[in-house]
Amino acid sequence: MAIAGDANLRCFPQPNPVDAVRWLPTVSSLRRFAAVAVHDPDSSSSAIEVHALNPGPNLLLRSSHAIPSRISALRFSPTPQKPLLAAAATSAGSLHLLSIDPLEGSIDSELSVGDIGFSTGAVADVDGQAEGREWVSVGEDGRVNLVVVGDGRLEWRRVFDSKGLVEYSAVRWASPAEFATGGLGFGLQWWDQRKPGGAVAHFKGNWARGNTVGMVHSIDIHPSRKHICVAGASSGTVFAWDLRWQHRPLLLSGVSTGDTVQPASESEVWEVRYDSHIQPSSVGTGPTRILPVMMCSEDGILAVLQQGEEPVELLAEPCAINGFDIDPQNPSDVICALEWEMIGILPRSKETSTAS
Amino acid sequence: MPGRASDPGNSLVPFSPEVRDPVVYPIRHGIKTPLFRVFVSWSHGNLLNVACLQASPPESNAAAGTAESEVNIGGKVVEVRLGDGDGEINEAQRRRIAYGSVPAFAMLQSRRNSLSMMSRMASSSFRNEWWRHVLEYSNQIKDLLGTPRLPSSSVIEDPKMVLQQIEEPTSLKVAWELMEIFYVDKQSSAWLPERLVDWLADYDCILAKTEPAIYSKLVNLQKKIVNIQVIEDDPEYWDGISSALAVGWLDVVVKLLRLHGSYQLDQLGNRETENGLVEAVAVLVSTMPRMRADVPTGKLGQCYKTKPDFVKAWEKWRGHITKLECSAFWVQCGHRQTREGLRNLLQIMLGNIKNLTTSTCHWMELYISHFLFIRPFSMGLEGMYSLAQKCMQLKPSSNSSGLIGVFMGILGGNTEVVLAECSKAFGPWMVAHAMELLMATDDHADILLHEERYNLGGISMEELYRLIYAQVLSSHPLTWQIAPTYLASCSKQGLGLLEVLLYRQSAHNYRVTLKNLEICRLYELENISECIMKIAGVYYWKHGRRGSGIHWLQQAHDEVRLNRIAQQLFDCIGKSISDDSFKQWEGLVELLGSEVGTAGGLEFLHKYRDFKRSLHLVHDKKAVDAARQTVESLVQLMRSPSTPRRFWLPLLHDSVHLLNWQGRPLLNVSETTLLLSKLQELSMAKLHPDFSDFDLPPQALATVRLALAKNLRQAILEES
Repeated sequence: MAIAGDANLRCFPQPNPVDAVRWLPTVSSLRRFAAVAVHDPDSSSSAIEVHALNPGPNLLLRSSHAIPSRISALRFSPTPQKPLLAAAATSAGSLHLLSIDPLEGSIDSELSVGDIGFSTGAVADVDGQAEGREWVSVGEDGRVNLVVVGDGRLEWRRVFDSKGLVEYSAVRWASPAEFATGGLGFGLQWWDQRKPGGAVAHFKGNWARGNTVGMVHSIDIHPSRKHICVAGASSGTVFAWDLRWQHRPLLLSGVSTGDTVQPASESEVWEVRYDSHIQPSSVGTGPTRILPVMMCSEDGILAVLQQGEEPVELLAEPCAINGFDIDPQNPSDVICALEWEMIGILPRSKETSTAS
Repeated sequence: MPGRASDPGNSLVPFSPEVRDPVVYPIRHGIKTPLFRVFVSWSHGNLLNVACLQASPPESNAAAGTAESEVNIGGKVVEVRLGDGDGEINEAQRRRIAYGSVPAFAMLQSRRNSLSMMSRMASSSFRNEWWRHVLEYSNQIKDLLGTPRLPSSSVIEDPKMVLQQIEEPTSLKVAWELMEIFYVDKQSSAWLPERLVDWLADYDCILAKTEPAIYSKLVNLQKKIVNIQVIEDDPEYWDGISSALAVGWLDVVVKLLRLHGSYQLDQLGNRETENGLVEAVAVLVSTMPRMRADVPTGKLGQCYKTKPDFVKAWEKWRGHITKLECSAFWVQCGHRQTREGLRNLLQIMLGNIKNLTTSTCHWMELYISHFLFIRPFSMGLEGMYSLAQKCMQLKPSSNSSGLIGVFMGILGGNTEVVLAECSKAFGPWMVAHAMELLMATDDHADILLHEERYNLGGISMEELYRLIYAQVLSSHPLTWQIAPTYLASCSKQGLGLLEVLLYRQSAHNYRVTLKNLEICRLYELENISECIMKIAGVYYWKHGRRGSGIHWLQQAHDEVRLNRIAQQLFDCIGKSISDDSFKQWEGLVELLGSEVGTAGGLEFLHKYRDFKRSLHLVHDKKAVDAARQTVESLVQLMRSPSTPRRFWLPLLHDSVHLLNWQGRPLLNVSETTLLLSKLQELSMAKLHPDFSDFDLPPQALATVRLALAKNLRQAILEES
């Protein structure tokens, strides 16, 4: 396994645990901000904080906005705009939409939805459409909701309610009408709003060995390949599911019988993202090839996976990496949330962008 | 003694028998007095949950106070935080230290294991090698406790800036450094006095917080010199110089001397001799021989690594001082303060005990000045101990902070005292980590700490202190995850306590449960992880997350509970699955998977779903193949022992139109007989209490029986 070393990682200790980190999709290249979801277990308070990243580098707190319960997911609408829209899902079953000034890093307003009809358990994940007008949320109670930004308030409608028979832990839009969800048993579901009444396609992986529940923690779908979703799950498993070949998932990391794919990690893969910094190697590029994917794991690994190649380890930390984000404007920079109450920022050099 | 849990002499964990002033924590419970009862219980960390219950109001008041009763609360639980730490290190910093020391500790343990395996035969070579690893560990921990003192980074140095104001080190770091000096660093043991001089330079600012010390004297002087014109007239100036010299801060001395008025250009002409004397002393100070490897940049003195070289240079240097002392130039020096101040400095350098005593404030400073000017060589611990006592007598100190206790413990050569003092002053983290330093080079300490003790329940002191620290970590929701590292290093009780810790984590957050399972995987605790999954499964099931509950139990291979759950689940299936909307169940059925024998009684659901699916396809009368397939799965379902009896009749009733199939019969004779016998069994069981039929028409049984009979007739005709 190629080890790049962690000498470049800059750690910023925080006074409280960090649940999620995201780069702000910036409008200007001069100002860079990161949004952080923090939780204080002593006072049971949670907040979204915006930090400015100054050269040095150092992180400076710009604004903080209290959220009534612990944040389980934080997402920005992908389009850089003014103001930026970010959605925070909580473990108490509410959803908060924040508008953030991308130039000042200030949190200006909040809309929220959290009635009992919306959700009865933790909202596990949320994802927004490009402009941030429409969000889809999934929860541990098995509800899939569509949230639309209305006139000064949030409106929502139920897409599906499994009544607790199935629960979802991850969601990602594929197109304005379609999205994918993930859950237990290395399971993925494909939904099409034009075909109501349930998921249109199901997938269940059978890579479980030993004591594992095989939970999918994170999904990513590349805008140029909307029919493929990559998922990060238990036991170091990262796989790609192509809707055109639904019964032939492609294992990028993990262990399965017959397949010999080297696992980048052996524990929970908390987050996966397509890595736009790495140019896919020239051999065999084509529409069927899976683009490079970055993953982070419970055993402290941050690595880039490429189909048919050994994983490239970027970090091997002594504690879990609970989440990360790749700066959409400067894809060489990665920000990550470390278990030991720290934010890490990893700048990558240009040389690593072309993988061998 | 009343109210005391155990006699301090017998207690496992040492606690201070000194009675301190009680601390009062006011509780705002907002409940009308009198209180009926108060319950106190520990929450996580140092939080205390206090539940206050109100006495139930007397009967007569109950009617009158109906309007009031809404605001009147019957009881309240209040959280009380005990102690705010020592103020020097807050909780977040303490956790940061705890996190950061995990990799260093784990690395040292794995090195010990691999080294002791390699050099089992030669324990002496192990010892020779070992202290280097401990030194590396000590340095890692030291970095964690605070940033090292760096030389001034400013390009232009202000000549009037004699004392660099630095970030004050914590007493925790200073204590750690002290132990490293005495116990670990073999390489510089010959330079021990000089290391103590450096150590005091860090420590003095902590000393200055509670007692008069040279550091505070110099800080005051620093403030003053910016404003004063004729500095050499001020007695504080000379006092500061002599104090700084006494503890070996040579750079400060030289900087202060160069501020002397005789250096000013307009004065140079008429104060030539005076200036010459000042400069001569400054040169002598800056060329003081020091027995050490090197001096940090910015510090002064000439280094000699070996004793003979040093002694030669020392004698020569003292010769220069004596010569200057007897020089005739003093008579020509007209400025009294300068003359007296400089001669005082010479006396200090010559090691005059009287001058040293007046120039220092605290006994520790006097002690260090001994090493600089009276006995600059290493001596045994005994000698150092009696010297310390002598200094204490000369400069009695009211305050005996934890650090001094540790210091005296080290000089006294008593490992147990050192550990007790560490524990008292710095807490369990310090003891658990500093034990490694104590054992690095000291065989006696090694034996003492590793000896299994009857009064500790057969564990060693090393294990005891690690367990105490692990318990502290376990009690906090943010640090419990690092406790396993310490528990794993405890051979006797560690694993048992680790199991307890893992069991105790709540199941309400699945991420925590998964992190818990990851620890099980690392330590190969398969049976524990199975139990944790069962606990989580039951938790989810109870909280209405049925799919998760089933899946977790399925992965934990808990057949017994799955069968139980299956019965409850079938109850709520009712007819819903036979409706068109079995989309609801689709996800769960997918999740259960198709492998046989993993889902307990729930396998049935999968087959049932398949049957229902193919039944849907048969509505067209021409679909013979589909009909045949459906009948096949019907027979399979009826044969399978996992199909609950209560579903037999609905299954048969759903497929009546298949039994009445136009044309060739779909069931052969033996299959029909099987179904008939099942039907018979069912009608006999109808009186059975747990029998229930799902809203089937009352004649359902008869309809099915008739259809089966018809089918049997046709089948017999067909086969004959």
